[in-house]
Amino acid sequence: MAATLDIGPLDEAGGLLGHHPIGVSTGVFTAHRGLWPDLVEDACAVSSYVVELSALSGDELPGLIAYLRSEPVLPFRYMSVHAPAKNFDESVAVESLCELPFEVRSVVLHPDVISDASVWKRLKTRAVIENMDDRKGTGRTVEELKPVFEGLPEAGFCFDVAHAWSLDPTMELAHALLDEFRVRLRHVHLSSLDNTGNHIPLRPDDELRFADVLSRCTDVPWVLEAMPPGEWASSRS
Amino acid sequence: MTEATGVAGLEIASGATFANIQECKLRTEERLQQRRLRFASELFDPDSAVVLTGSWGRREVTGESDDDYMVLFAGRRRRDARPSVHEAADILEAKPPGREAVFGKQVWLQDLLRKIGRDRDTNANLTRRMLLLLESVSVSGIDVHERARRAVLEEYLRAHKDYRPPRFLLNDLVRYWRTIAVDFESKMRDRKGQGWGLRNAKLRLSRKALFAGGLLPVLECYRYRADGMLEYLDAALAMRPLDRIADAFTMHRAIDPAVRTLGAYDEFLGILNDPDKRKELDTLTIERSGSSQLFARVVELGEDFELGLLALLFNDSDLQRRVRDYLIF
Repeated sequence: MAATLDIGPLDEAGGLLGHHPIGVSTGVFTAHRGLWPDLVEDACAVSSYVVELSALSGDELPGLIAYLRSEPVLPFRYMSVHAPAKNFDESVAVESLCELPFEVRSVVLHPDVISDASVWKRLKTRAVIENMDDRKGTGRTVEELKPVFEGLPEAGFCFDVAHAWSLDPTMELAHALLDEFRVRLRHVHLSSLDNTGNHIPLRPDDELRFADVLSRCTDVPWVLEAMPPGEWASSRS
Repeated sequence: MTEATGVAGLEIASGATFANIQECKLRTEERLQQRRLRFASELFDPDSAVVLTGSWGRREVTGESDDDYMVLFAGRRRRDARPSVHEAADILEAKPPGREAVFGKQVWLQDLLRKIGRDRDTNANLTRRMLLLLESVSVSGIDVHERARRAVLEEYLRAHKDYRPPRFLLNDLVRYWRTIAVDFESKMRDRKGQGWGLRNAKLRLSRKALFAGGLLPVLECYRYRADGMLEYLDAALAMRPLDRIADAFTMHRAIDPAVRTLGAYDEFLGILNDPDKRKELDTLTIERSGSSQLFARVVELGEDFELGLLALLFNDSDLQRRVRDYLIF
C-alpha cells in the first residue's frame, strides 16, 4: 500500500451522502478483484473511515485472510467483511472467518446460506445478518429473519435498504425491519438496484425515497454497494 | 401519575429494555438506603454531607464497585469538623481513600466555589467540583448536598445570557473531560500499566457518559431564559447521567439511535457486573489487549456509544448549531 492514500472526503457531499460515517464495499471495484492492497486503495479514495472487504465468493476469502494477517496499516475506523455467499464450504469458511483480526468489527452473512446456525455461532457478536432482496426465497422479512436471529442470538443486523425497497416500494417493510431489529442494527448497505437486482449508484429518486428510513440510522456506518453517484463524483472534482 | 422520563421513559417509547441499567439502578438504591440508615444514627456537624460519587452517583453500582466518596462541608473551614474522612470510611465500610487523594481529605464548599480556574484550582478541586455536579448522591446531609450542588451551579451561572449555553460552565466541563483523558495516560505511565484494561474501558464508556450527561443539559440551555437556567440545570443534574442522556435523545426524537446507544451501555454494565469479565479487564495490559476478545467487544461498545452520542449532537439541527457555536471555541 502507498505511504499516502488518496482519501475521498465523502462528507463534503450534500444529501444522504453527507452522512458520517460512510464508506464503500470493495466489491464495487471489480477490476481489482482479489488484489487486496489495490482494493483498499480504491476504497480509501472514497472514504478512509468505513470499508467493507467483500469476499462474496469463497475463493476470495483465503487471499483476504492472508492480506489481513500481514497486518497492513489501515486507516479505517470501521471494517466489516462480507462473508462468502457462493463457492464455499460452511465449516471451512467459518474457521477462516474466526481468524479475522479483532479490527474487523462485523462479518456480514446472507441468511439463505446458513444451513447450520451452530457453525456460525462461533462468530458471536461479529456475525451480522443482512436482509435479502426479492430474488431470494428467504431472509427478506421480519418473519423470515426472526428465526435466523433466534439461531444466532448475538448477531447484529445489516440493513440493506435497497433490498427492502425491492420487496416493498412503500418502504413499510423497511420500517418494520428497523422496528424489529433496531437494537441489533450494526450498519447499512446503501445503493439503488437495477432491473435485474444488481447494485447501482444511488439514484436521486431513491435518495428521496430512502431518506426517511435512513434518518433512523444516523448513528451507524453506511456502506455504499455501488460507486457514489455521478452528481457526487462531479462535485468532488 | 407522573410521566416516565429518562431511561424508563425511553423504554416505554421504544419498547426496548435495558435490564442491566435498571438492575444496577435498583442495586444502587438498595445499597444507598442501607448506608443512609447507618448514617442516620450518627450525630455529625449540621453543615456536613457524605457524598458518594463514581458508579454510585451514576446509579450503576455493580457487584464489585469501588466506594468513591467525599466528606463535604458547606460552612466555614475548621479543624475539628465531623465526620472525618476515616469516620465516614468506617461507616461506609469503604476501602481507604485512593492514592491520588481526590477523596482523601475533607472537602470545603468554599474551595469549590471560590477556586474555579487558575493555579488555585487544583486537579483535585476541579475533580471534586465536577463530580459533585455531574455524578453525586448523598448518604448523609442530603439537604447540604443539594444546596452545595445548587451553589456551584449558581457560581457558574453568574454571567450567563438568555437562550445561550452558559460558557463558563461549558468550558469547565470540557476542561474536566479533557483532563480525565490526559490524566488516564499520565496515570498509566506512572503505574506502569497497572489496571489499564478496566480503566480504559471506563474511559470509553463510564467517563464518556459522565461528560455527555453534563454536556447535553448545558447545551440544552439554549431553550431557556437566563432566569430559568438554574432551575433547569439543578433539576437535570439531580438525575443520573444516563437519564439525562436518554431524555436528550427522546426530546430530539432520536429514538432509534438512543436504543442502540443505551443498548451498548447496557451490555457494558453487564460486563462490569460479571466478576470474571471484570477481573479479566482489570488485569489486562495494553500489550495483551490485542488478543482479548472481551476487550475488543468493549471497544466496539464504546464506539457504538460514541457514535450514538455524535449522531445526536451532529444530526439534530438544533443541537448541531449549538455544537458548532459553543463547543469548539
